[in-house]
Amino acid sequence: MSGVSLKPRAPFEARVDLSGLTPSVTRPLSLRELEHLAVPHGGRSVKLAELFFVEGAPDGVLLIEIGDPRLDGVGAGMSEGELIVDGQVGAFAGRGMSGGFLRVSGDAGDFLGAEMSGGRIELAGHAGARAGAAGSGSRRGLSGGVLRIGGNAGPRAAERQRGGLITIGGDAGEGLATGMIAGTVSVGGAIGRLAGRGMKRGTIFTHAVPELPAGFIDTGSHELVALRLLARRVPELKDMLKGWTHARRIVGDTLMGGQGEVLAGV
Amino acid sequence: MILNGVEIRDTFAEAFPMVGTRLIVTADTPEWALIAGRTTTGFATSVIGCGCEAGIERTLTPEETPDRRPGVSLLIFAMDFKQLKKVVPLRLGQCVLTCPTTACYAGIETGKRVPLAKTIRYFADGHQISKKIGDKRFWRLPVMEGEFVCDEDTGSVEGVGGGNFLILARSRGQALRAAEAAVAAMGKVEGIILPFPGGVVRSGSKVGSKYKGLFASTNDAYCPTLRGTVPSHLPAEVGSVLEIVIDGVSFAAVAEATKVGISAVCALGSEGGVVAIDAGNYGGTLGPFHFKLREIMQNGAGETA
Repeated sequence: MSGVSLKPRAPFEARVDLSGLTPSVTRPLSLRELEHLAVPHGGRSVKLAELFFVEGAPDGVLLIEIGDPRLDGVGAGMSEGELIVDGQVGAFAGRGMSGGFLRVSGDAGDFLGAEMSGGRIELAGHAGARAGAAGSGSRRGLSGGVLRIGGNAGPRAAERQRGGLITIGGDAGEGLATGMIAGTVSVGGAIGRLAGRGMKRGTIFTHAVPELPAGFIDTGSHELVALRLLARRVPELKDMLKGWTHARRIVGDTLMGGQGEVLAGV
Repeated sequence: MILNGVEIRDTFAEAFPMVGTRLIVTADTPEWALIAGRTTTGFATSVIGCGCEAGIERTLTPEETPDRRPGVSLLIFAMDFKQLKKVVPLRLGQCVLTCPTTACYAGIETGKRVPLAKTIRYFADGHQISKKIGDKRFWRLPVMEGEFVCDEDTGSVEGVGGGNFLILARSRGQALRAAEAAVAAMGKVEGIILPFPGGVVRSGSKVGSKYKGLFASTNDAYCPTLRGTVPSHLPAEVGSVLEIVIDGVSFAAVAEATKVGISAVCALGSEGGVVAIDAGNYGGTLGPFHFKLREIMQNGAGETA
């Protein structure tokens, strides 16, 4: 294979922070330099080669052969290249990404794609809390790029989302898109309570109208050309919007002066 | 050069640089798309009096449009980019936004950006909604009928304006039939428009006038009723002249349209009453683009008599 593959030597004894391990960092390094790269492991710093068998040649592609929920910050800060994880990842995967492609075949912990501004994340499994949301102390969630979650998303996904696109194939937990500022989120399954609370702008696509806060107003069912346009222009929404010509448009959160919308396919 | 009994005169059409853009306008039905297209490109025959030149490039099937509805492709040309940025939002706001069921999209992705919804979104009075997908932003404007969907802006090209050829025929009816044949054939060429009524000009002009303040006046050398009273380019048997004016996104597009149009006229031949094909030029002083008729027609243009 091309690129560098990382294979764990043994089960991790503590959480590992891989947030410094991105293709832009590893590309200029030799394999030996990469093996000596320091990574936080529990309360100490260890060489990468102490945790992983490191093979291949750095060229912008990284493969983690066996994922683990104790691997935090996988792909965090990525700006280019490709990072592939066969298995699970821990918290903060893809946090602050501005470019590149992060692909995870398993589940992810909390804060997946939090504050990302570009690039693409594809998660086959379930995501923890606050996917695509604002990180602790931050005012803005995902502002650009595409975050795809094949399974369910935990509570407060898309919280304070500022732009970009989040697609959730399964269910979304409580407080979806709380304080959403702009952008688009689609949910293929059920949506938990209190979705869109404090929403200013932005769009939530859903197949069924969820339980919404009191500040949402149902404007009725409408034939919207924008649905056809999005289905054509945005491949990630094609399946979701297939056959949609009409949608119920529910606007909110008007108690906060918001003009966001929930569009439920009819 | 003689093609099917029609003389191709040894001259050239002189054209000039223009800046242009393409809009894709869709609607619920082909009829409404066409209405929007005709309205938007109305009163846009010549930059001299209209500020721009515009026309319907072609109709589009649902498979060809961004929202899978029937549509039309429009080309709008102006003398400079500043003027283009002025006329396009005006026509969009007055003719597309107002037309039932329409939506408007960018037809060119490259070049300097011409504002579309970027300008007219304020009509929605704060209720406008934008979506940015990748690098592309579009707007949804609530209107009484429902929603108007429009791209933020469109690209532009440095095109060619004023390509032309003249059909010299024995009678008015024969000139018109030849012109109609040319327009029908040229309608299949992509990247060009024929901005005059039905694609045809009956009042071609020369530069200047005996009257102060007039930039152009009747092309007396081609007026049959003035033959003999002014230096004329018309032989005795010519009773009527019609002009086809072509604007295009490139020199190649205008040259191709010229060839297709003249070929269609020559297919009618002298039996159809066509005497000669000529072109309007100003000795090479007006514009840098010269479409030499004989060079254009040399390959595959029909039989040489």
